[in-house]
Amino acid sequence: MKRKIRFNYFTLLTGIMFLIPACTDSFLDIKVQGGVTTKTDPKLAEKLVTGVYNSLLQGDSWGNGDVHGFAFISVTSIMSDDADKGSTPSDQAVPVGDIDNFTLTPTNKFCESLWSGHYNAIGAANQAIKGLKDAAISEQQKKIFLGEVKFLRAYFYFNLVRMFGDVPLVLRVPENAQDANTDPSFQTRINKSILYDSIKRDLTYAANNLPLKSQAVFGHVNKGTAQTLLAKVHLYLQEWQPAFDLTEAVRQSGQFQLVDDYATIWRQAGENNSESIFEIQTGQFNNANFAIDNYTVAQGARVGGLGGWDDLGWGFNNPSQSLLNAYEPNDLRRAATIIEIDVTPQRRGTILWDGYRVPSADSVQNRFYNYKAYTSKTAESFLNVNDKNRPKNIRILRYADVLLMNAEAGLALGIGDPTSRVNEIRDRAGLPPKGSVTMADIWQERRIEFAMEHDRYWDIVRQGRAAQVMQAAGKTNFVAGRHELLPIPASQIALSGGKLTQNNY
Amino acid sequence: MNRFLPIFIVLVCVFTVVQVQAQSLSVSGVVSDEQGNPLPGVSIQVKGTTRGAVTDAKGVYSIANLSTESALVFSFIGFLTQETIVGNRSAIDIRLLEDVETLDELVVVGYGLQRKSDITGATASVKGDELFKQPVLTATQAMQGKVAGVQIISSGQPGSVPQIRVRGVGTALGGTTSLFVVDGVLTDDISNINTAEITDINVLKDASAAAIYGSRGANGVIIITTKKGAPGKLKINYNNNIGFRQAANLVEMANASEYANYMQAATGEAPPPSVYNTDWYDVILRTALQQNHNLSVSGGSETATYLVNAGYLQDQGILLNNDFTRWNLRINTEFKLSPKLSFSLQSAYNNNVNENGFGNIDIDPFGNIGAVYNNAYRAAPIIPARVNGLYGNTSGYQNVGNALLDLNNNDIRVVENRFQGSGSMAYKVNSAITLRSAIGGDWRNSLNRGYYYEFRSDENTFIVPGGNQQRPISSLSVKQSQNFRWVWDNTITYLKDFGDHSINVLAGITAEKYNLTWFSASRNDVPADRDLWYIGVGDANTSQNGGGGDAWARNSYLGRVNYSYQEKYLLTATFRVDGSSRLPNVNRWQSYPSVGVGWQISKESFMDNQQIFDNLKLRASYGRVGNDQIPTNAFTQTVNINRPYSFNGSTKPAQNGALIDQIIDPNINWETTEEFDLALEFGFLKGKLNGEINYYNKSVKNALIFVPVPRTVGDADGVILTNAASIQNNGLEVLLNWRDQISESFSYSVGGNVTFNKNEVTALNGGQAIRDAGIGAAQGFVTYTDNGQSVGTFHVLQVLGVFNTADEVQNYVNSNGTIIQPNAKPGDFKYLDKNGDGRIDDDDRVFAGSYQPVAYFGINGSINYKNWDFSLDIYGNVGNEVYNGKKAVRVEGRDNVEKDIVYNRWTSGGRSQTEPGANTGNQLASTYFVEPGDFIRINNITVGYRFNKELVSKFKMQSLRAFVTAQNPLVLQRYSGFTAELPGGPTTSGIELSAYPTTRTIAIGVNVEF
Repeated sequence: MKRKIRFNYFTLLTGIMFLIPACTDSFLDIKVQGGVTTKTDPKLAEKLVTGVYNSLLQGDSWGNGDVHGFAFISVTSIMSDDADKGSTPSDQAVPVGDIDNFTLTPTNKFCESLWSGHYNAIGAANQAIKGLKDAAISEQQKKIFLGEVKFLRAYFYFNLVRMFGDVPLVLRVPENAQDANTDPSFQTRINKSILYDSIKRDLTYAANNLPLKSQAVFGHVNKGTAQTLLAKVHLYLQEWQPAFDLTEAVRQSGQFQLVDDYATIWRQAGENNSESIFEIQTGQFNNANFAIDNYTVAQGARVGGLGGWDDLGWGFNNPSQSLLNAYEPNDLRRAATIIEIDVTPQRRGTILWDGYRVPSADSVQNRFYNYKAYTSKTAESFLNVNDKNRPKNIRILRYADVLLMNAEAGLALGIGDPTSRVNEIRDRAGLPPKGSVTMADIWQERRIEFAMEHDRYWDIVRQGRAAQVMQAAGKTNFVAGRHELLPIPASQIALSGGKLTQNNY
Repeated sequence: MNRFLPIFIVLVCVFTVVQVQAQSLSVSGVVSDEQGNPLPGVSIQVKGTTRGAVTDAKGVYSIANLSTESALVFSFIGFLTQETIVGNRSAIDIRLLEDVETLDELVVVGYGLQRKSDITGATASVKGDELFKQPVLTATQAMQGKVAGVQIISSGQPGSVPQIRVRGVGTALGGTTSLFVVDGVLTDDISNINTAEITDINVLKDASAAAIYGSRGANGVIIITTKKGAPGKLKINYNNNIGFRQAANLVEMANASEYANYMQAATGEAPPPSVYNTDWYDVILRTALQQNHNLSVSGGSETATYLVNAGYLQDQGILLNNDFTRWNLRINTEFKLSPKLSFSLQSAYNNNVNENGFGNIDIDPFGNIGAVYNNAYRAAPIIPARVNGLYGNTSGYQNVGNALLDLNNNDIRVVENRFQGSGSMAYKVNSAITLRSAIGGDWRNSLNRGYYYEFRSDENTFIVPGGNQQRPISSLSVKQSQNFRWVWDNTITYLKDFGDHSINVLAGITAEKYNLTWFSASRNDVPADRDLWYIGVGDANTSQNGGGGDAWARNSYLGRVNYSYQEKYLLTATFRVDGSSRLPNVNRWQSYPSVGVGWQISKESFMDNQQIFDNLKLRASYGRVGNDQIPTNAFTQTVNINRPYSFNGSTKPAQNGALIDQIIDPNINWETTEEFDLALEFGFLKGKLNGEINYYNKSVKNALIFVPVPRTVGDADGVILTNAASIQNNGLEVLLNWRDQISESFSYSVGGNVTFNKNEVTALNGGQAIRDAGIGAAQGFVTYTDNGQSVGTFHVLQVLGVFNTADEVQNYVNSNGTIIQPNAKPGDFKYLDKNGDGRIDDDDRVFAGSYQPVAYFGINGSINYKNWDFSLDIYGNVGNEVYNGKKAVRVEGRDNVEKDIVYNRWTSGGRSQTEPGANTGNQLASTYFVEPGDFIRINNITVGYRFNKELVSKFKMQSLRAFVTAQNPLVLQRYSGFTAELPGGPTTSGIELSAYPTTRTIAIGVNVEF
């Protein structure tokens, strides 16, 4: 009897002990909780596409990445002859002042954050393309998503090549750290022409697969967007015929038209208007404002002198005297682009479109501010109006650009009707039509039409007259053959062990 | 120890020389332990005869037919044997000294017990009684200074768990918390364990001892065994202590006139006239109440025993409005169903409430409570704290929040409920084989609630309106988290002696599972009425919420073989294989072997004729353990959700998106420590002097480190976490204890231990040296963990002196003649231009020591004289540096300054070379802020008195002891700040920013047994 009991306990216990190893495999198969993977969320592919758009909003200029934040403002606008650094002389003298004055070095933090921000975005695009491969969605939808992602990847590369020239061409996701650190393609600069081929390939895919604006989902890029950016790429390469053809196609598509009032374009009322082709979308999320970090607050009017008011921001990116001088008399666009601070003895201040009064010069730090970055606390709708960094959509491509590119390509080829295209723009600006246009007229029109819209610096480099324009604007530190491009970040060159080469810095 | 040797010799002589005539006598008495608890079953033998007696349940004995020269020998297992001559006495009460070094004592070694003499690894144990006498929250705090090789860094903050470092820091980016095993349940937090419930604590220090815990052994293992009932009559114990605590060290700030003097010198302008002279530390600190009550009922029969213990602890905290309370209940039972089959059940419940805990990141989103120390440091004494219900406006004057206002306008509470328990069944198959199965569980629920009052910078709040200290809208945030873990151990042991060979084999399988879920929410505009503090009451348009979780499982196989030959030659081999769900399939299973050998030299025949040693043992071991304290998501590629885009226009919520922005190293693994240990244990003079000398070498070859990757790969932070760095700790532990009984009524003991440790990063292998401890203002990162340095070494500018004249500034040039500090003024620091580039920047920083001490030590002494008992514990460390970060938070000319600085600062007359001239703060990180961290602290002094039995029995008591205890009565430190004991992560420790001061406690209490 005793033996039997012992036997039973023994088998029971030993049995229990061996039950555990029997279920080992499933027992240890626990995924990261709350850690979504492509396998666990069928909608992930679509979300990853949204995530690539989200990458457009990076504005961590002093940190891990900037695409359209303060660093972007600095190298597209402040660096050009259209704007000055602004704010107080010492404020951000190192990254921004150095960019404005062409004293920038390879350790410039803003250049580094633009480099990493764009490659973060490209990484997101590559991840999305990888995720879309096995996504359980219709082929039709997949092509549209791929078109969107490829458009965005092309846009990021187009910006990179305009900022840095030759850069590494990364079109895949690294397998792991070792792959990332050993595959030379991650650290070798590729000739511009190969980069441009890749950009054109992506944009062509997008143009062929994206629907027309009228059939596209609101806020997403469409066929017209891809065609316009591709036209711009051709324009930069002086490939006039495709530039002309593509702009002509966009024109003929009937999807876009100029709005009547130039001044409304950059207001909330003008978001995604009939003229809008590619616009960085902002708004609200999680019961809070959803904006590009610092975009509006960096450019808001800054308190100074006597003070006594709650200001609008830090006061950077001031329209320059050179830009003011470039306007023809009675050009409606001047008052829509520049907030001019009242310097009269009456000190009435400046009344803005919504009735807001900016105090006169004795209480304000700078003379001019970017009106296009202004947001209205009273006449526009924001979730948190007390937040000084209110959301602002950045208009990257609009129909006016199509017209002016069409004019430029047409003029170069001697086809089309460049004069009419330019006059369409001038008409809206309240200016008399031109009888005929020269290349200089078109370039001048571009400068005014897109003033403070982040086009100027790359435009004058493209036109091959950056040195001449900078000299004329009194920015005498500009060195031809060097400052057309930004320095490659020193940290990345060091990390590559010298595989990555420097620009002429 | 030589001091005590003559005393001993004299005493021996006295006892042996005295000869008294024989008479027929009878003697009776009570035998008790050091605390006066009666000891049943003690054998008393009349020396030289076979006659004797045994004490009864009350410790009483009596022996007849003795002569005056008869010698009585009292012996009991676990106690030192004692001898006494009868003389003319008829009543002889004896107190036996516990033998802490009993070689046959069984020691808990993880999944089993082992005889102390057979152990080949480095372990240490502390008795529960030694811990309980201290008025502190956790057992780990009470262990401070008692175990060599275990550094315990305490904080004065109520409810906080001290930081433990076993034999140095073996990681830079992983966790450093020791593994706790409470009655078989594995946990990382023992703040729920009442020290009154602890029988003993065993610490497994080296890799060979801890290898049985595999991937969790690298930071040491601390095994806690809770009390159980004993067969016999029902016993009721009540213990308490009640006392007060206050800050042990305060930093004295300038008063109003000193402040005015300094500010005038620093800024050229005098502060506005004021009638106030505020001592801000006086405003926010207080003398706090602390009390601890404990009631236990225990007893049982031969087949069933029980112990029920209920405790209440309150620790008010010296910071205003801070309060911590803990209720706990424990029920431990054991049943012997048959001689072969037994069950035991341990269960504990506790409830903690922590009000306005300091630096509680989870629930103090504005950091207001944590900022009060800084604010009190900076606030000008000319601003009043509060007058007639209105606050002084510090922010209007100098951009510093009024600390009192912050304390009164945040209400933060954390409530934790926890059940922890284990049940086990043991079956003795035969005399050799035992099967054991144990299931343990640990369930925790915590609810954090923070309410932030609305107040404006207007005349309703402040004496003078203005400034930026305001909260325009009230807010409420809550966070609830719940976790549960269970562990199931199944072991089989085989224990057998074959003549000279003795073998003990353990094999087992364990499974463990953990899960955590949390949820948080917040809303604004919740009314100030406490009854309305619910999320639903707030403005739904301001809703924010979050949530998440964690889960993992483990499955392990373990084995241990102990073999001894003639009890002289010892061998221990252990092996554990850990499988973890958190590691990817390729390296899911990790193995942790260890081997130890021992030589019990004193048992050799050639030692038979010597009288010096009664124990001499040499042991050596080698083993491998892991550190698994790495976040679960470090291993797996996951997606960042909530990366939206406004596809719906700017006036509608954006559409959610996702982003994969991290490259993960799929081969990442636990950090692995390999340790070699060599020790000599010795005992002299019949166990009165015991000691141990222990050398160890711990090396980690795959410590986690960030390896930079090109930005082009699209990794958002540009670095990948991987196992690359090597870290080494070398050390020596020395431990000596002396115990002696001079007469029946007088015994004493004195002991000490010291640990020397050297920590060094020996290779980075492509990893990035770690800059950490960014402390704000103009300081940047102040630690730099680089090759050849200790983990977390301070890295700052070298102060060469202070410029006395403008000429000195002009003459301070580099080799090219560049003026190195062109903007400096007389009175400013002169810094070393290390790289000679003619300017002072971060490239000129030098290594300036680390928080890790060269040595730390404990000294413990006790005296029992008649009814009195006295004990003393001292703890200290030497050879480390601390960073006085709070000095660096001075960022403007109106900030207050320490009193010493007012008087010792550089002046054109005084020309101090160590203290700069009056300045407006924003000093660069430099050796100026690095101060010696050496300190010695009397940890505890206790004096107790045990009332006579006759007296207390009138009140139906078995025993009554009253005591006075003082915790931290004396702290001697070279550091000028609040405390040199500054916990933190591996790369952020030893920095005083807003540290909770060390507190001094004086308490009285009683121990009663019914």
